[in-house]
Amino acid sequence: MLNLPILPILIILPLIGMAFVLLSPESDEFAKESKKSAIWTSSSTFLLSLYLPLNFDKSIPHFQFVNTFSWFNSDNLRFSLGVDGLSMPFVILSTFLILLCIVFIYPQQKKSMRMYLCAFLLLESFLIGTFSAIDLFSFYIFFESILIPMYLLIGFWGGDRRIYSAYKFFLYTLLGSVLMLIAIIFLYQEFGTISIPKLLNSTLPFYIQVWLWLAFFSSFAVKIPMWPFHTWLPDAHVEAPTEGSVILAGILLKLGGYGFIRFNLSLLPDASIFFTPFIYFLSVVAIIYTSFIALVQNDMKKLIAYSSVAHMGFVTIGIFSANIQGLHGAVIQMISHGIISAALFFSIGSIYNRYHTKEINFYGGLNARLPKLSILFLIFTLGSIGFPGTSGFVGEFLTLLAAYSKNTLVAFISAFGVILAASYMLLLYKKVFLGITSDNLKKKMDDINKYEVLVYGSLVCLIILFGIKPEVILDYTTSSLDRITKLYPISIF
Amino acid sequence: MLILPEIFISVSALLLLLLNSFYKKVSYRDIAYLALVIIFVSQFFILKDIFYFEEIFNGFFVIDSFSSFIKILILIGTGLIIYFYIILKNPQSLNRSEFPILILFALVGMMLMVSANNFLSLFMSIELQSLTLYVLVSFSRNDFNSSEAGVKYFIIGSLSTCIFLFGTSLIYGLVGSVSFSEIGIFMSEQFQMPTLLIVGLIFILVSISLKISAAPFHMWTPDVYQGAPTMVTTILSTIPKIAAFAVLIRLLINPFSEIIIDWGKILVILSITSMVVGSLGALLQTDLKRLMAYSTINHIGFILMGLIPGTEDGVTAICIYLIFYLTMNLGVFLFILNMNRDQINVSKIKDLSGLYQSQPLMATFMVILLFSMAGIPPMAGFIGKLIILNLVIDNDLYYLAIIAVLTSVIAAFYYIRLIKSIFFDQSNDELDIINNDQSKYLLGFFAVFNLGVIFYPQFFLDLCSSVTLSLFALN
Repeated sequence: MLNLPILPILIILPLIGMAFVLLSPESDEFAKESKKSAIWTSSSTFLLSLYLPLNFDKSIPHFQFVNTFSWFNSDNLRFSLGVDGLSMPFVILSTFLILLCIVFIYPQQKKSMRMYLCAFLLLESFLIGTFSAIDLFSFYIFFESILIPMYLLIGFWGGDRRIYSAYKFFLYTLLGSVLMLIAIIFLYQEFGTISIPKLLNSTLPFYIQVWLWLAFFSSFAVKIPMWPFHTWLPDAHVEAPTEGSVILAGILLKLGGYGFIRFNLSLLPDASIFFTPFIYFLSVVAIIYTSFIALVQNDMKKLIAYSSVAHMGFVTIGIFSANIQGLHGAVIQMISHGIISAALFFSIGSIYNRYHTKEINFYGGLNARLPKLSILFLIFTLGSIGFPGTSGFVGEFLTLLAAYSKNTLVAFISAFGVILAASYMLLLYKKVFLGITSDNLKKKMDDINKYEVLVYGSLVCLIILFGIKPEVILDYTTSSLDRITKLYPISIF
Repeated sequence: MLILPEIFISVSALLLLLLNSFYKKVSYRDIAYLALVIIFVSQFFILKDIFYFEEIFNGFFVIDSFSSFIKILILIGTGLIIYFYIILKNPQSLNRSEFPILILFALVGMMLMVSANNFLSLFMSIELQSLTLYVLVSFSRNDFNSSEAGVKYFIIGSLSTCIFLFGTSLIYGLVGSVSFSEIGIFMSEQFQMPTLLIVGLIFILVSISLKISAAPFHMWTPDVYQGAPTMVTTILSTIPKIAAFAVLIRLLINPFSEIIIDWGKILVILSITSMVVGSLGALLQTDLKRLMAYSTINHIGFILMGLIPGTEDGVTAICIYLIFYLTMNLGVFLFILNMNRDQINVSKIKDLSGLYQSQPLMATFMVILLFSMAGIPPMAGFIGKLIILNLVIDNDLYYLAIIAVLTSVIAAFYYIRLIKSIFFDQSNDELDIINNDQSKYLLGFFAVFNLGVIFYPQFFLDLCSSVTLSLFALN
């Protein structure tokens, strides 16, 4: 097997593509050339990222494809990249969703199209970097850098209240992550190393763990987001452009869950046990409370945004149950939410592109106008509810199973979240697609075009594939997650 | 002769003055070019002896690698500012040949400050620097704001001088000497430090805080920054700050290192107040120059944190931060200098709006610089902050680190507000901004520098730790 430095290539490739996008002729009105280079870049990045699962050794729980680079002239301060079973699916998810976004953008027209594409390629590079960073500093650098393209995406191409939302997004996430920076520096001072694999073998006294846990928590709880730190999310989603929402819901939220597993759970297990009831409480509140809020929303994107918070509640319950079902459930739930919410936001984007509003009351009987899209939307709705046979079911089932083994009450209450999800999602579907065709929809519109067919087709396939055969992901993650649960102390809760 | 660069610059500045008065044909631009050549040449004099150590003129001045390093930084900064002066279209009132010559005199003052090893020589050089800067601030004689700023700066500056002299006299009364090395020896012989000595040091710290505009001694900064011609604000916000910091470092590390417990506490207060004032004060500003004043205060607070442990690592961190601070500030001010509308220099934040539409490349460069100032990775500003935070946490000053990062979040708000103006706002009345290529390249250079540091920060660490060694050689 040739020893390709695959991760650095994956990080640099989008940046090279960015240069091509910027160099393409400015006069071109539809930015055809730059779109072509963006598609080439993102598809080749996606195809190259498939190198990871193809050459991944499933039996090894440790990091693979490791590359290190000297940064400061010290053996302890080196940039290192690598993936294990936990992070590898997320790398693929990032490259996949960015590719879909750029395919989705292809037939559209936007102001400053070249910069728009550049922002996505930049995001891709940073996202791959974040998921594959295995030292604290490069993780932090990539994690924070994501704010820059995302801030510009929301603020420049967003809706009416875009500036307020961009501020809110930026400051909330920055406030969370600077505290993490202090924790990271503290870990470096304490152990003299920033390499995560080395840190995994070290233990800290309990009272220090508690403070570090809170510092990491402040960052990831805002990112994932947990109730009550979620208020930036609906604003950011509503104002962001369609593709921005897709990335936000599809990948950025997963950074929080990934960080919880990677840092809070693996590095600070004692504090994690201590805080488990706290997390359970917040998650249960998130599931029930945000589901009720989602019920009364009149903006489609806002509804999906609140449902995201509820779905992420299942993820945190799964993570902090810290048994193998819980972690598996959390990972599957994150991946499946990444795909399903991306699909929902894409569909809302498709509807919005045609009728220019996201208000639910405006619609009604849309299935008469867009029959194909309404069938697809039904599949995504079912996925979001957690219908058996879709990937959403597997995630929710596993996390509830894990929660049940730890705390019956939590499992019992959060199971209501599934019912609530069914009610708000089906209500949304009924109001928008079923019933008598609303007077607002007199104008005939073309059903989905070939680019949208490509996007939705691949998403539907994945939703059903992961629903029927979750082993596709679990095979890769098992050994790494096993290691985490084995190192985890027995909980008294 | 080790003091050669200073002598060279002062003699050549005098010659330029003569040249200017006897040959009317020589324009202000020629004088500026000559000043640039002088700075360039003196750079070599310093580089030649960069790792040399000697006390000269009976210990009046000291030449060591630290002072040489800071001098090089100051020379580069001054050279760039004079280059800005040459390439830009300045307001008519600045187009006089005295302007570059005065900058040269200020430069001599600052270089002597850095080398001063004695309270008398320090006082003399601070005064030389300040007096020239007073004149420079009020250089636009017919402009009301400039004169007002000049008066304010002069009053605050003379106050600072008085306080400095009072502190010095207290210390002289106790020690019987004004030489840094003798003060150091005196202090190491004491079992119990005389309180009056600490009082004297406090006075001197206050005076220097006024110079570096650390809160709560920052009041003059926004007004003077706003009133002074932008070219002079560029000078004020960069090189005198670096020089004053060098003085502070030398003073605290060399003679007063024995009472680190006392001045450490004072610096903690100064840095916390500076960070808080610098971040909160800028939130509601509408003028870019005022905002930069508060931004300077915020950065000063951050840099002061590095001095609190009083260690070699700390001084190294400060030197690194100063390099980045210099490039960021010069870049942003180069941009402000280029903001013109109908031939008049403007500096309101709302003037920035719609910049991305008219000048996408410049907007991108500016945004990189602003993100760097906000300390968002992967820019250079982040590396600077990371190194200082690392040091602070290493010394178990967790509360300070937390305050620092929280204030930097608040500070990030006003930087991204500028980015919002540049990128998101629409404007009907566009700036006729940046019309010369040199400015574009220079701004591009600053931006690329700020982006590129992340790839090889070790270079700066090596450089700065090698020069700071000399400071600690005596202890």
